[in-house]
Amino acid sequence: MNRNRPPALVEKLLAKVLREDLIEEILGDLEEKYFAVAESQSVSLAKLTYWYQALNYLKPFAIRKSKSKYSTQFQMFKHYIKISWRTLLRQKVFSAIEIGGFAIGIAACLLITLYIKHQTGYDQHYVQKDRIFRMVNQWSEGGETGYWTNMHGPLKPVLEEGIPEMEKVARVVFWSWGDAGQNYVRANGSKYNIYENGFFYADPELLEILEIPMIYGSQKEALSTPNSIVISQSKAEKYFPNQNPVGKQLVLNDSRESTFTVGGVMQEMNSSSHFQGDFIMTLFGRKKGPGTSGWCCTNYNYYVKLTAGADKIAVEEKTALIRNTYVLDKLKEDGQAGIDEMKKYQSYYLQPVTNIYLNQEKVGDELKHGSPELVWIFGAIAIIVLLIACINFINLATAKSLKRAREVGLRKAIGSFRSSLIAQYLSESCFYSLLAVILSVILAWSALPLFNQLAGTSLVMPWLSWWYLPVLLLSVIVIGLLSGIYPALYLSGFKPIEALKGKVNSGGKTSFLRSGMVIFQFTATIVLIIGAMVTHQQFQFTMNKSLGYEKSQVINVMGLNTMDKQKRDAFKDELVKLSMIESATLSDYFPVADASVQNRNYWLAENRQSESGFEAARWSVDEDYLKTLKIELLKGRDFDKALAEDNSIIVNEEMVKALRLDDPLGKQLIDMFDERRTIVGVVKDFHFESLAGDIRPLALVKGNRAATLSLKVQSDDMDETIAAITAIWNRFKADQLIEYSFLDQRFERMYDGLQKAKTIFLLFAVLSILVACLGLFALSVYMVEQRGKEISIRKVLGASVNSVFALLTFDFVKLVLIAIVLAVPLGWVFMEYLLEEMVNRVELSWPVFAFAGILAIVIAIVTISFESLKAALVNPARKLRSE
Amino acid sequence: MKETRIGEFEEVVLLLVGILEEDAYAFRIAEEYKVQSGRSATIGTVHSALERLSEKGMLVSEMGKPGVKRGGRRKRIYQLTANGQAVLRNSRDIKMSLWNQFPGLSLDKLNFAYE
Repeated sequence: MNRNRPPALVEKLLAKVLREDLIEEILGDLEEKYFAVAESQSVSLAKLTYWYQALNYLKPFAIRKSKSKYSTQFQMFKHYIKISWRTLLRQKVFSAIEIGGFAIGIAACLLITLYIKHQTGYDQHYVQKDRIFRMVNQWSEGGETGYWTNMHGPLKPVLEEGIPEMEKVARVVFWSWGDAGQNYVRANGSKYNIYENGFFYADPELLEILEIPMIYGSQKEALSTPNSIVISQSKAEKYFPNQNPVGKQLVLNDSRESTFTVGGVMQEMNSSSHFQGDFIMTLFGRKKGPGTSGWCCTNYNYYVKLTAGADKIAVEEKTALIRNTYVLDKLKEDGQAGIDEMKKYQSYYLQPVTNIYLNQEKVGDELKHGSPELVWIFGAIAIIVLLIACINFINLATAKSLKRAREVGLRKAIGSFRSSLIAQYLSESCFYSLLAVILSVILAWSALPLFNQLAGTSLVMPWLSWWYLPVLLLSVIVIGLLSGIYPALYLSGFKPIEALKGKVNSGGKTSFLRSGMVIFQFTATIVLIIGAMVTHQQFQFTMNKSLGYEKSQVINVMGLNTMDKQKRDAFKDELVKLSMIESATLSDYFPVADASVQNRNYWLAENRQSESGFEAARWSVDEDYLKTLKIELLKGRDFDKALAEDNSIIVNEEMVKALRLDDPLGKQLIDMFDERRTIVGVVKDFHFESLAGDIRPLALVKGNRAATLSLKVQSDDMDETIAAITAIWNRFKADQLIEYSFLDQRFERMYDGLQKAKTIFLLFAVLSILVACLGLFALSVYMVEQRGKEISIRKVLGASVNSVFALLTFDFVKLVLIAIVLAVPLGWVFMEYLLEEMVNRVELSWPVFAFAGILAIVIAIVTISFESLKAALVNPARKLRSE
Repeated sequence: MKETRIGEFEEVVLLLVGILEEDAYAFRIAEEYKVQSGRSATIGTVHSALERLSEKGMLVSEMGKPGVKRGGRRKRIYQLTANGQAVLRNSRDIKMSLWNQFPGLSLDKLNFAYE
């Protein structure tokens, strides 16, 4: 029986989806068809046919129109939006403040989010990024751990043989050794030298480890012959336009020794890579200089790629084993002291490549870093600004509520549920937040170029990223709900009769909450003001600190290594003859970050075997150096032009301290290369490295292999001076453009990060003040409206304009005063925390806090005054006559 | 203006409604279509055409008698309206007029291959 019926399931389904008036005839027809097929052919075919026919009925005409269960809701939603729009238009100023303030907050938040995303997005582009590491030294002593990058050259083959998990190992030399750093360059055959930055040495494996995309040549081969060089695409275009440069030659500094053959062309380094540079010279097969140093010195940064699935911790343990069984023996052979200490405290650490840019581990290196602290601080600022804007919105919405009490009463009276009132106010706040987000995107987009300029970034709006629009949409909803939930609950709770009578009280709990939010806003604002001011102070302090040398009016002329020594000296003599040049000195070492660096271990000669020594910077300078940079000589003498001074050394006070000497003059020092020198002079300590650290020991020796000539200028006319210098340069080296820079500008570049932090801080402090003021203004508008009659009656009874003004203003000033009391200790703690790490820091002083507080009060009073004064001056009759 | 345009399939369905008279409901029309034209159409397709033609005012329908083979359900019987008949007639006239102008009027000369 059952077998001889059409499939019941299909019948049921059809009955569900088909138009009700058609069901009977359709099912009838289908059944007739079923029996027709069943009789003439077979039951199973009939069933199949039934399915087929049924499916063919799923056509627009036959399907039930979804009977609009949702249409009422949709209608209501449309109605809500319409009402929102009308409310918005009814109070234009109020709405503009509500939405505008909100938009400013969101725009600020958006910009900071982009900034943070950029800062944390470095080195994410490698396919095998979780296998790429930088190998660094780790020193753990007494609970403190420090890291630095410089390692021994001969370690590479040891690692390659001893640790199979290290698939590739490459050494890199960034610091100015050999030709690393800046050079004059020309294509072989061309006469004209061009000054270029971004040279470094690397092992051939580096290209594969860092997955550098090649345009010509291969990652494997490009650096694998001696004296090969890989250049970036833009440099290839510059020196070898429209040709494949592989096999062509580049000459550095007119030196035959520094002639390199192009082995490949790489794409420009990814802009969000910690690793930047345009010229990679190979370390492979070198005869001298970089690539040839032994166990004496630590000159190399190490990059490694582990095999797939290798465990970082296990590999680190293996490196420790190699240190114990091999490296330490080699160091002992080399006659180095402090082996036992090394065994105890020193080990190797693999830093993931993605950590290098923000450098949470604070590895000491020469690269440009972002600051993880800044990322956190900016993130916090973004959230605070957003909170302030949200609070504004909530405050204004509840303040508005009285005007809408009647509306709520009426809605309730004609049968609206509380839930639909909540829905109404939530959709209203979502509507407002949608407008605000749209406005904020426009704002952020137009402010982006300015922001990029201030923060030194190159951010773009990620319109096309898959996450961008969904995230914006999500934030519309989240912010809308967050800011709307309180007004929604509050408004929908009105009792209809009282609301219609206009008896809703605005006091009590609501005003308490509103006051609380104003206090929060102003507390946050004052803390931001304090932050901006202290950062500004710190910056000024750093820039104007007495550094122990004079950085202004000093010109560095670079690239003298293309001249021989005699020509160089002649050039110097010629320049000193100019009246506007006070003095000149030949040296590559300067108290700024992008100059040469060299460090050596030093001992007092008699303690060479018994002590472990200490590290000191070693600068080679000439006899005019101290004079030119105005560095004070405390004891002894300066270098003498007539003497070779091969055995003389000048040290700074810190070095004297490290040597534990009372009378340093005449004492003999020895360094790690067994070079003995006698102290002839002591200079006053000067800040030769970043002010964020302490002054280290420094040793000056006389040397004459310098590529930079520094000139102390005593004329105010820089243009004329430079023209004069250029004229002389052209007499000496016509085929090479003069390249110069100013020492004070190089100094300021060291503090770029601080400068940018200061600017951004200031920017957002101003923004948050603006948003908070907008909120305060709107609140005062509301309050004056509320108390209009009260004020009029007071005036009729004889109150003066002053007393009315004071009455209105004091309510708000009280809140700001409370905010100041809260903000001062908070700001203090916050700034102490920020400055903690800095060695040369400003002390926090009360004027800053007082100024921030007074500023807040003044801004608040000015903001409120508009409305308060208007209210106090109005003719009472106008307010009172309507009753 | 009344809708007078119809498609080829619709025209055939209209003709079949006229031919089947009392028996003109979706299933029967679909069966008859297959018998007459040799091509098959699902009941749904036919029904959809019938619905369309009703909307254009060429057909009217009413519920007929229940049948045993249809589980006691009634069928919807369709009937040509005056408008429907006029449309059919018009369509035939146009075609006849075209046929009359065809070279070599007589049917046996019709081989479509011009010499």
